[in-house]
Amino acid sequence: MTRARSLDRRGVTWGLIAVAVFLALTFFGSDRLVWFDAALVGYLFGTLFAVFGIIYRYAVWLRRPPTMMLNRRGWDAFRANAGRNLVALPSLVATQLLAQGFIRRRSTARWIAHQLVFWGCILAALVTFPLTMGLLHFESVGQQGDRYRVFLSRFGTIDFDAESIFGWLMFHALDVAAVLVLGGVFIFLRRRLRDPGALAVERSGDFLALAGLFAVSVTGLFLTVSSLWLDGRFYSALNTLHALTVVLGLMYIPFGKLFHIFQRPGNLGVAYYKAANEQGPAATCRRCGEPFASAQQIADLQTVLPQVGFDYGIDGGGNYQDTCPRCRRASVTLAQSVRVGGFG
Amino acid sequence: MARPAVDEATLIAKYGPHLNRRPPGGWDADLEIDRVVETHCCFCGQQCGIKLKVHDNEVVGFEPWYEFPFNEGKLCPKGVKRYLQGSHPDRLLTPMERDETAPGGFRKVSWDHALDRVVSEIRRIQGTYGDDAFAMLSGVSLTNEKSYLIGKFARLALHTANLDYNGRYCMVSAGAGNKKALGMDRASNPWSDIPLADVVWIAGSNVAETFPITTSYIWRARDRGARLIVQDPRVVPLARTADLFLPVRPGSDSALFGAVLHELIRNDWLDHEFIEAHTVGFEEAAATVAEMTPAWASEICGVPAARIAEAAEWWGTSATGMMLHARGIEQQTKGVDNVVSAINLGLATGKFGKPGCGVSTITGQGNGQGGREHGHKCDQLPGNRDISNPEHREYVASVWGCDESDIPGKGLPALALIEAIHRGEIKGLLSICFNPAVSSPDVNFTAEALDRLEFYATIDFFLSESGHHADIVLPGSLHEEDEGTSTSGEGRIIKINAAVDPPGEARRDWEILLDIATRLGKGKWFPYSNTKEIFEELCRASAGGLADYAGATWERIEAEHGLFWPVPEPGHPGTPRLYEGGRFAHPDGRARFSAVPWRESAEVIDDDYPVWLTTGRVVSQYLSGTQTRRIEPLVAQYPEPLCEIHPRLAQELGITEGDIVRVESRRGDITLPAKVVNTIRPDTVFIPYHWPGTKAANQLTIRAVDPVSNMPEFKVAAVRVTRVGTRSAVTIDRRDMDVTDGLR
Amino acid sequence: MRPPRYGVDDSPIFVIDQSRCIGCEACVQACEECGTHRGRSMIHLDRIDRAATTQTAPMICMHCEDPTCAQVCPADAIKQTEGGVVQSALKPRCIGCSNCVLACPFGVPKYVAEFDQMMKCDMCQDRTAEGYAPMCASVCPSEALWYGTVDEFTERRRGTLLDAWLFGRQQVRTKVFTVVDDVSPGPLDALSTGTGTWLDDPFGLEEGT
Repeated sequence: MTRARSLDRRGVTWGLIAVAVFLALTFFGSDRLVWFDAALVGYLFGTLFAVFGIIYRYAVWLRRPPTMMLNRRGWDAFRANAGRNLVALPSLVATQLLAQGFIRRRSTARWIAHQLVFWGCILAALVTFPLTMGLLHFESVGQQGDRYRVFLSRFGTIDFDAESIFGWLMFHALDVAAVLVLGGVFIFLRRRLRDPGALAVERSGDFLALAGLFAVSVTGLFLTVSSLWLDGRFYSALNTLHALTVVLGLMYIPFGKLFHIFQRPGNLGVAYYKAANEQGPAATCRRCGEPFASAQQIADLQTVLPQVGFDYGIDGGGNYQDTCPRCRRASVTLAQSVRVGGFG
Repeated sequence: MARPAVDEATLIAKYGPHLNRRPPGGWDADLEIDRVVETHCCFCGQQCGIKLKVHDNEVVGFEPWYEFPFNEGKLCPKGVKRYLQGSHPDRLLTPMERDETAPGGFRKVSWDHALDRVVSEIRRIQGTYGDDAFAMLSGVSLTNEKSYLIGKFARLALHTANLDYNGRYCMVSAGAGNKKALGMDRASNPWSDIPLADVVWIAGSNVAETFPITTSYIWRARDRGARLIVQDPRVVPLARTADLFLPVRPGSDSALFGAVLHELIRNDWLDHEFIEAHTVGFEEAAATVAEMTPAWASEICGVPAARIAEAAEWWGTSATGMMLHARGIEQQTKGVDNVVSAINLGLATGKFGKPGCGVSTITGQGNGQGGREHGHKCDQLPGNRDISNPEHREYVASVWGCDESDIPGKGLPALALIEAIHRGEIKGLLSICFNPAVSSPDVNFTAEALDRLEFYATIDFFLSESGHHADIVLPGSLHEEDEGTSTSGEGRIIKINAAVDPPGEARRDWEILLDIATRLGKGKWFPYSNTKEIFEELCRASAGGLADYAGATWERIEAEHGLFWPVPEPGHPGTPRLYEGGRFAHPDGRARFSAVPWRESAEVIDDDYPVWLTTGRVVSQYLSGTQTRRIEPLVAQYPEPLCEIHPRLAQELGITEGDIVRVESRRGDITLPAKVVNTIRPDTVFIPYHWPGTKAANQLTIRAVDPVSNMPEFKVAAVRVTRVGTRSAVTIDRRDMDVTDGLR
Repeated sequence: MRPPRYGVDDSPIFVIDQSRCIGCEACVQACEECGTHRGRSMIHLDRIDRAATTQTAPMICMHCEDPTCAQVCPADAIKQTEGGVVQSALKPRCIGCSNCVLACPFGVPKYVAEFDQMMKCDMCQDRTAEGYAPMCASVCPSEALWYGTVDEFTERRRGTLLDAWLFGRQQVRTKVFTVVDDVSPGPLDALSTGTGTWLDDPFGLEEGT
């Protein structure tokens, strides 16, 4: 398998552009840094690193020949019937990206775990990033000290009562997120430790991702514990520790398992690609003459294969890749049998 | 009254076969395994070692048992999925009594009620019609201990002569042939001799489907350079790679063997010293085959004469050779003829009692070997003794502590017993692990016979098609619910270990029999508190007999991964290879050549029924299917019977692949899809026999038996085939449809 | 007797000898008992042309040195272990496009629509990691699927081990070996066809009697 030996120049460019955009957004979003919280600068640097890494890796990923091909075909397919595809988009997003039925069909426990982690992370991201960038802040309004207003940049939005349930949720959103994530992490861990099959296909990254989520959630919860029940004791040490885990977590995103958050939406492109291919002609197998796949996908593969270093062409014409999988298996067996005494 | 209480559909809806698909708790259950039990597969005479995984008194999976030397972890699909027979929705959990008003035709009753009814019916029938009017039929999926116990139970508790077993449909031709020619009935060799053979000849055995693990032994011989001869009406999977294929037409095997002996003599490929020193009867046998030239045999068998001559040359000129035969040559009215004429070839070339040399049957049923040694055959007492021999009777009576006169005489063999029921001479029946409603020839006749019983009780774990006729159903034990020993096709005594206890109110088979004996007032002869005590008595009863287990103990059997009988005294190492040094088991130590003149099968083709029919098994099903038709992954592999037919015959009859055809014989007919394949003789059709009712191949087979062994002729019948129509759905094997990305 | 477990130093190999397959499906049934993909069989077993022959085609993943499936994966979801085992698509990454299913020269990966994911033979990683043979090679009655050391193979079997294949102009090397009779074999050309034997006329219909 190919491994990048040095930094990809185009990837670096895109990464830097993304960082610039992010900084601009922070600058203007925080009303020229008025609402930027300097205490969160560590988080900002972690986020910048993550943004650079994610965009860098995304750019490199998109330039792999099969990815580039699918990316192009996915958009082609989308544009070819943009109206209908746009209408179909919300339900696709809901089923494929949010409800994640494909995981539920694998195992309910796994699905519950993944949903918990998924929504926990989304919630945390929705709170943390706007706070870090200074996009979001709260101000008390009126004379009563327990009435707050939510500001997006410099614009005030809704008011809420700190003592209300809504208020509690607003101030403890990150605690809620941490509890969700921890619940998911525990289910995942239990499965991994009990099921020898799951353990066997374990990759070191899987464990690291779980450990990271655990660390971020637990240290975050400790902050709440400290301020609510310990009169703020250990708060600053815990705060540093939490910041450290979050920053390390952010820096890990582009490299580790969590990068799938950004890859997985490619599934939508695949859905459009497959739907478009079903309308088109089918490829027929050169051996059995039966249709076996979309002609478009077979043609695309035959474009991609030489780009990644394969030549399945047959001397005298034709391409082995025009064989259906079943006939490939049969061909291999028949060819082998000929080489051991000619049984057929 | 043994007519099914309700119609078949109702019985099936209630008692199955239903399909067990997944292990208990499902695939994702992540169950903790309480223990892993080393035992054996219950399906077929190879008795492969297997480990069963147990959770909370349920078998939840398997693990290969690599250390067991016979199969080193190998298993066929039946072995892999055998664990799914446990925790099955169809499992019988309570005693039941026939009741036309109950849903499903049976009502649940207490053990007391059920056993009292059985005992009172036995007493009534024997009191009214005589002792022999109550019969017992048993099976050889049972352990040695149960086989022995049943022999004793029928003779002393039931006091009936009429006990026989379903090995009558499986092993008896080989047994009778072996006894006649060699003096005793056991495979002549351990399987470790197969790789030492220079020529391996498989006669009438679809090894790849019925004894799959034996395939690896044959390949080990071939890896050493051995040549493989396969004799079969079909190009069975093993035949595909054979060096020489003898496409014999059903029922003509003895002609082929005769011609081979003729060639051996003509070319003097004989071991004269061996013939002289260790055999008798060569001259008569030689005289009988004097005119049996390959050309003559070729006319009868349809095997090209050159191939017959070549087979003779390979067999005659190889230093070592093993012939393995099975039901193909044995399930015929000439089964014994075929077996002894095969043995002739071994004797003529001195291929006995030496490494890599032997002529041996491949035992079919789970305990087909042990089950035919311990006295639950109609003519047999333990130790493979003869029930008509006064000395043998005296000895067994001394072990049993009864008078010689307490032991009834020889009874009727299985098919004759069913015919006696049909004639009304036998009025009552107790059966265990035998499903004649599927496995008997001419099953429609068998069903009629069962209907005529005044009383029928059955001990089983699932309600078989025969059980549909029962008045009382007693829930017995599965293979994995009791311990004991069995004896594999090699003659290796092995230990069956219990993985779980019988579920619900089900009980171990031997406990049920003991309870009946006690209620009949015969408890004094059955003082056992566990199966080990039965084994120890079995060993004493077999001592000095042909099948001598006297020196065997459970401990040694487990420690040594099995023990080959004869084991005549403690410390004896066992006898893996028989007849070493040319010492055969006849009193004079000599083997018998047999003169086998050619004769035809009971039924031959004619203008009305112009096609040969042969029946057999498929790899995913076992015998009458009571167990394997309930295991979904096995059913999926081959869901229903198909009629294999050659394209040449198919074309003559206007049949194409997947068409529905009717196959008719003088006994009945069956309608089923055609499988048009190049791999069967153009004058023969093949139908597997595992299914009941309208899907039963045995609707067609003939109630003709071998005169010596009483084996029915399952392998030869005359039929006609007609096209009925086109099949609506052609999906026969769904994995054929699984092209690129199928789900399993 | 073969040992039940192999140590790391034994470096056991997987050998597939398709010609010995008897089509019994023990491998198919045992495959789904493996812990890494319980309830789902990853091995293929096809009847090639039942009308003509009982030959069947078993196919496990051959574990290519440079796997085509991984190279055509847009999601970069197919990874090799250090031991050279090509694994099922990483669940989080696989976007279900089926490129791998269509491009694998051996026809191995399966697209499982239910999970919208590719799954394939991973040589029973839970077993091989512990030194046990994969399920299919454990049970295979004819040893068409075989797992053991090179020494065991040479001691027990004839034939030459071969790990090079030719598909059109494409050469492929695999971790799994096949067996051929030739002493110094070239790659096995998937497009080569055979010559006949008695199997052309098993019943001697043309031979005369």
